[in-house]
Amino acid sequence: MIRLQNIEKVYRTDTVETLAINGINLDIAKGEFLSIMGPSGCGKSTLLNIMGLLDEPSKGSIRIADQDITRFSDQQLAKFRNQKLGFIFQSYHLINDLQVLDNVELPLLYRSGSAKERRELATEALAKVGLSNRIKHFPTQLSGGQRQRVAIARAIVGRPQIILADEPTGNLDSAMGNEIMDILISLNKNDGTTIVMVTHDENMAHKTHRLVRLFDGSQVQ
Amino acid sequence: MFKHLFKLIWNKRKQNFLFLSEILVSFLVIFAVFSLLTFYYLNYMLPKGFESERVWSVSYSRNAKTNNIDSLNIFYENVRRSLKALPEIEELSFTSANFPYSNSHSTTGFTYKGKEMSPINNYVVEDDYNKVLGMQLLEGRWFNKEDINQRSVVINSTLKQAMFGDEPAAGKIVGADNEEEKWKVIGVTADVKAEGDYWPAGKSFYKRLDTGSFRWVGHILLKVSPKADAAFESRLSKLLARIIQNSNTEIQHMEDTRESKNSDTVIPMIICITVAGFLIINVALGLFGVLWYNISQRRGEIGLRRAIGATGSSVSFQLVSESLLLATLSIILGSFFALQFPLLNVFNVAASVYIIALLLSIAFIYLLVIFCSLYPGKQAAAIHPAVALHEE
Amino acid sequence: MLKNYFKIAIAVLKRRKFFTFISLFGISFTLTILMVTTAFFDKMLSPSYPDYKRNRSLYITGVALVSSKNGWYNGSSASFYFLDHYVLKLKTPEKIGIFSFSAKANAYVNNKKVVMEYKYTDANYWEIAEYQFLEGKPYTKQQIDNGERVGVISESNKRNYFGDAKSVVGKYIEADNVSYRIIGVVKDLPRSMRNFYGDLYLPYTVSKGNYKDVGFQGGFGAVLLAKSEADVPKMRTEYQQMLSKIPTNDKEYDKLYAHADTMLESMSRKLFGNDENVGISRMIAIVSLFILLFLLLPTINLVNINITRIMERSSEIGVRKAFGASSKTLVYQFIVENVILTLLGGVIGVFLSIVCIFLFNQSDILPNLNLSLNFTVLVFGFLICLFFGLLSGVYPAWRMSRLNVVNALKAQ
Repeated sequence: MIRLQNIEKVYRTDTVETLAINGINLDIAKGEFLSIMGPSGCGKSTLLNIMGLLDEPSKGSIRIADQDITRFSDQQLAKFRNQKLGFIFQSYHLINDLQVLDNVELPLLYRSGSAKERRELATEALAKVGLSNRIKHFPTQLSGGQRQRVAIARAIVGRPQIILADEPTGNLDSAMGNEIMDILISLNKNDGTTIVMVTHDENMAHKTHRLVRLFDGSQVQ
Repeated sequence: MFKHLFKLIWNKRKQNFLFLSEILVSFLVIFAVFSLLTFYYLNYMLPKGFESERVWSVSYSRNAKTNNIDSLNIFYENVRRSLKALPEIEELSFTSANFPYSNSHSTTGFTYKGKEMSPINNYVVEDDYNKVLGMQLLEGRWFNKEDINQRSVVINSTLKQAMFGDEPAAGKIVGADNEEEKWKVIGVTADVKAEGDYWPAGKSFYKRLDTGSFRWVGHILLKVSPKADAAFESRLSKLLARIIQNSNTEIQHMEDTRESKNSDTVIPMIICITVAGFLIINVALGLFGVLWYNISQRRGEIGLRRAIGATGSSVSFQLVSESLLLATLSIILGSFFALQFPLLNVFNVAASVYIIALLLSIAFIYLLVIFCSLYPGKQAAAIHPAVALHEE
Repeated sequence: MLKNYFKIAIAVLKRRKFFTFISLFGISFTLTILMVTTAFFDKMLSPSYPDYKRNRSLYITGVALVSSKNGWYNGSSASFYFLDHYVLKLKTPEKIGIFSFSAKANAYVNNKKVVMEYKYTDANYWEIAEYQFLEGKPYTKQQIDNGERVGVISESNKRNYFGDAKSVVGKYIEADNVSYRIIGVVKDLPRSMRNFYGDLYLPYTVSKGNYKDVGFQGGFGAVLLAKSEADVPKMRTEYQQMLSKIPTNDKEYDKLYAHADTMLESMSRKLFGNDENVGISRMIAIVSLFILLFLLLPTINLVNINITRIMERSSEIGVRKAFGASSKTLVYQFIVENVILTLLGGVIGVFLSIVCIFLFNQSDILPNLNLSLNFTVLVFGFLICLFFGLLSGVYPAWRMSRLNVVNALKAQ
């Protein structure tokens, strides 16, 4: 599903050159649930960003869903993200001025489709994460766990093949974290969605199929 | 997408309130300025209705010793003959003080078929007045000897339109519905813009100067030949001093009075435009700053939108549309106020002036908003999602 | 504490140069327009050449006859007879000067037309109005009584008529085909001094019009000079008592109005009042409303920018609150900052006003009208600044005081 070959990422400032990722090769199969661990600054978020096409590698090639996206234009990348990928962030990144339902509908706005269709899909996605009774609330009226569930609903509403989660449980207590984790696992199991998750939490990581450890930009395990 | 943006704006109405009111007030200011400019422009485009070149006005103070009508008539006939004898004077007419550009007004008014006609400019003139001013007759005829002691009147086209519409007016009797004072229309003349190039002619009523008028008339209009120069003016002045003794006389060129009359309009207009211009620059800078700041505040949101599949251009399009939507709300509210002017017929100005001004103001506000949000929108498109999403 | 605020304010202003520029631009230009307008009104209303005794003067400029039965109104300037026969009888005024409102006359010099405005005066006029004589002197009562054809001309009239001639006293000037011997030349004054403006001043006895006509209306006006400012009300009372005794001498008209007003009163009466009411309160109301409307847009703009500025600093505010600053001190701090900003804008505004006034004086839009920034104008500008600073600071400060500490700290 995702194939990274010899990925390197260098950040340049005027004086310093930092190697964030150094020669990573990674193959992720369809339907796999992969977790990435490592200390702060090891490059795991950079790697996730590269997989999410939010960032470009300095070197190496990426194939996602059997397409070489190295030469994609901004337009093509945006379309690709919209249709194939779903994102979940540690700090949720919900739009506070929009109601839950509108937040979930967001990815569908960048596709064609009627308002009714969007509404149905978003309601369905919210039902999946168990938030059907909160659709008219604003994000600020929800707890952290509920917010992250909204974010998951937003990630799955477009039926992506891949979900990229950047420390989804990082801001939550363990009970809520487990709840989120259960949702992700069931998504993986029932819908066959490929999930890549960055985490700090060994317990969470061990619930996944495979664990990759990074240290100083290189894969150590 | 539209509905989505609308929700976003509506849910942020508290933050947007100031933005809205600022655009609303700017809109009203712009509307006022454009109304003024449209009014002036439309009037400016109308024909002047007469020729002011080579027309001189003579004012004299009436210090005659007698009030006897017959001797006055003899005296002023003598003045007329002496002036007519000069080869440089082509035409001349005694007139009431309210000749074009004179700053003097005399109005009358009546109701006609229940319609209020006042104010109507009331000109008292002679048989050659139309020749002096080169006025264009649209219908009927101008005054002549037949009108002695007749209640004949020439009206202008505006008054004719107001009273009779497209029907011919010559031969009609005008005057108040229930008064004895009736006048017979003998002709219709083209509108004369007597208040300067930027003002409408208004309704006008021309009456013939009758024999008793020399007790109060104090002005003569002259059409002079191209040969008339300052030397001639000096001779004319001496001649006038000799024949109208004990009087202060003043000769003015209608082109000069026209210029000063026009500058009475143009100078306040320029001040108005300058002040409004500064206000608008002020507003534009303010909008620009606020939009710019908003975008830096919404980096997270923009990053997210990019992550879930919005292209750079769709993000900047979204931000520009948001501002335009906000502007639309203000414009709808502003137009409601602005439309009261034509509806209530404030200032007695044609509705078309307000409508044109309204359309111009709407276009102007949209352009202003687009101009102010284009650059911040571009900035937003350049936000790198990976960076923006990691800031928090 | 204040010094601390000042330091922070300057630092904040430096940090966000663009916002600072917008704020300063708005404040300074608004202030400039208001200050130039004030300078203009100040010039109109306060004593200036040649009318330096304005504070103890009342002016009679018009006489109106009214028929309350028919609703007729007949207004004009006063007649010489009215002023001579009634007004000159007053006891309180130190001096009473009579003058006619200027009218135009033509003269032709070497086939060039010269338009001049002539004005008839009496002898007292020259003692009340302090004209600056570049040469010669005014005509005396003796010369007036003799009906001598002598005249005082203005500097610009001298230039138009005689060109570069050095001295013109003793020469003759011709206006409306009558020659007058020049006995003095005075410095020019702006046309806005309606009561005093003229190019050629002549004794009223040489007037072609019949100044002896018995009637209330003619082309004349008068200035009543009290002995001191404190005497003005007394003079006014005497004048009004005298006026109330004058019969209208006309069956058609039952009321006679002839106001003796100060400069401010005559202006407000003309624009906002009527014969019964001076209209000062109306003028104040309308002018303040107008100023408020004019200030509305820059104020909203400034409020908008201030809120932006505050929101941007929400983390700073959060930290201050967390370390014990009360909302009150923060509001106080912000308002001080804003007032400093507006005062800074005020200084720029004063500078811009000086430039504008200089340009106005240089241009010949209104000849001889030299505006200046005096103390009154500056104080007015300072007051507007403070008002502006408070107005645009209060709402944002209130928003700031309600800022939640936790959210504010999280925002960064």
